[in-house]
Amino acid sequence: MSSHPPLVQTRKPGESSFCFLLVMGSLYLFWQAYKISGFSELSSPGAFPLAASATMVLASCIVFINTLKRPAAEGVRFVYHCFPPIVATIMALILIYSVVLESLGFILSSFAFLFITIQFLYRRSVLTTLSITLLALVVVYTVFRLVFQVVLPEGIVPEREILSSIKSLWR
Amino acid sequence: MDALHYFAMSWLSPELLALTALGTFLGIYVGAIPGLSVTMAVSILISFTFSWDVNYALCLMVGVYMGGVYGGSRTAILLNIPGAPSAIATALDGYPLAKKGLAGEAIGLSTVMSVVGGFVGIIVLAIAAPPISEFAITFQPRDYMLLGILGIMLVGSLSGSSLARGIFAGALGLLIGTVGLDPMTAEERFTFGVVELWDGINPVAVMIGMFGISEALHQLHHMNKAVVKQKISRIIPKWSDVKKYMPLSLQTSFIGVIVGALPGTGGDIAALMAYDHAKRVTKNPKVPFGEGAKEGLIAPEAANNAAVGGAYIPMLTLGIPGDAVTAVFIGALFIHGLNPGPLLLIEQPHMFWFTVGNLTLANIFVLIFGLTGIRLFSKIVECPKGVLIPLIFLLSIVGAYAINNAITDIWWMLAFGVFGYFMRLYGFPVGPVILGVILSSLTDENWRRAILTERGSVSDLFINMLQSPLSAVLFSVIVLILVSKTPIWKKVFKPKIKS
Repeated sequence: MSSHPPLVQTRKPGESSFCFLLVMGSLYLFWQAYKISGFSELSSPGAFPLAASATMVLASCIVFINTLKRPAAEGVRFVYHCFPPIVATIMALILIYSVVLESLGFILSSFAFLFITIQFLYRRSVLTTLSITLLALVVVYTVFRLVFQVVLPEGIVPEREILSSIKSLWR
Repeated sequence: MDALHYFAMSWLSPELLALTALGTFLGIYVGAIPGLSVTMAVSILISFTFSWDVNYALCLMVGVYMGGVYGGSRTAILLNIPGAPSAIATALDGYPLAKKGLAGEAIGLSTVMSVVGGFVGIIVLAIAAPPISEFAITFQPRDYMLLGILGIMLVGSLSGSSLARGIFAGALGLLIGTVGLDPMTAEERFTFGVVELWDGINPVAVMIGMFGISEALHQLHHMNKAVVKQKISRIIPKWSDVKKYMPLSLQTSFIGVIVGALPGTGGDIAALMAYDHAKRVTKNPKVPFGEGAKEGLIAPEAANNAAVGGAYIPMLTLGIPGDAVTAVFIGALFIHGLNPGPLLLIEQPHMFWFTVGNLTLANIFVLIFGLTGIRLFSKIVECPKGVLIPLIFLLSIVGAYAINNAITDIWWMLAFGVFGYFMRLYGFPVGPVILGVILSSLTDENWRRAILTERGSVSDLFINMLQSPLSAVLFSVIVLILVSKTPIWKKVFKPKIKS
């Protein structure tokens, strides 16, 4: 379900490390919050961040201790059950897409991203994947770029020139 | 009689009627698409309607506003990506309903209750605008602070089985909300010398990442699971359901109006408070909250639409915007030579009644368009996962980029998406993070204003808090909620209540 993931009674692989990282991260943020204005005044810019980060430290410590108390789950492996190759691959694809989005431009990078991920996850013929990709891209481009005038990264495709030449054809 | 004439003006003119319908239709789809906000849509409309007659321009913008607030629920229910911050609470129970194949029923019910909320907001605007706005401006910083704390206490409801994990997530959200230049002193907070962080982290990027990306990544674990067929035989909700949930819908609508009327708060906070209210007053829900409770769906939907009418109250009576969209509306009215504020009601009462009539009309269009597009919308979730998941990623990335046309927002969205994935994996709720982000500035700024007013004295703050009837009521509610969570209360009172 969406908001309340069930808390299992056994400890998943990587859970204690994750909780430990949360403790360390919270301590770091507490230190950063302290650096804003120290423990000077209740109305200082650092007062609220200090309170929030202190709560994080306290809560993460409780969670970490409780996690350590739970027995480790048997027969569950991190690479298969928590971070399977399919998730890692998709995360990598999203990362590459985000990196090349500005340089390649929205049209090319989104086309490549959609085509590869749909082909990878849906596993149908190239023609089917191509048609779905093109249809989705046209809809998203029309709604965002043409209707709502959201300036999407142009990259190497001279979009503006193409659009203005199409407009001039209508005139 | 004049009031009635101006009220019915947009109903009787075919052009005004068509523009309101068009605005509402567009608004529903703007609201449903993550990254496209109602504020942005209304701002765009100003740019090409400034030369129009004021009534024409207003009809289009009012329609977009009303439709947009409702539209956010669509993607929240179907994809767990709230189209707008006001639909965050809707996703908590709406999405589990869609996962059970009840998307059609969920959208139908949320549409009807949104319209009920919308009407409550409009009625209150029409009959009680001046007293409500006078009440709203009596809110002191300490009252806003108490309101923020009241909202933060919702963490208890969103935490699920581990309160510590929920508190951690809520505190993280509060901290994320403080990133950037301090609005009161311009001091840098958690910016690490990066200029891009001066404006802070956009809540929409956090929202899309935590809800959309993390959920889509989770879905990758279940690629072989068959797609749930949506039951769309029943779209118009059962009369018995409407009757059953009407009292809750009315209660949360009033919460929505009041919160909406407070300057600086809007439909997002109203919806979260309404969700919390529903959780408290529903003793034995048929389905637990967070797993598809209808009460958890209708409460925020009624409240966020009622907040529209609420937001208009300070705008039309005092010239103070109730939320970001009404701030843009004020700009639009100025462009058209109108001066929203106390004099508007005296000098141009026709504008007030025209707006009330137009809001009513837009609300009726929400009902019509809301109930007619469900079949097509519900098909989205029946789309094969191999196609749907890449589309969610694409929409999330483009949506995050569209917020400020900045690649930084994409990075934040992805970072929160991956972090949210691991949070979900290890049993941390993500709802409180968003709650924290939304309530952070409200609580932080007003706490500091309140303590500055008392020259740094906490004792004076408490004394004055208890002397003011409004603050005392808010404070008592907080104390009561806290006490009701303690083991002593549960031991002493719960058995009595049961017996």
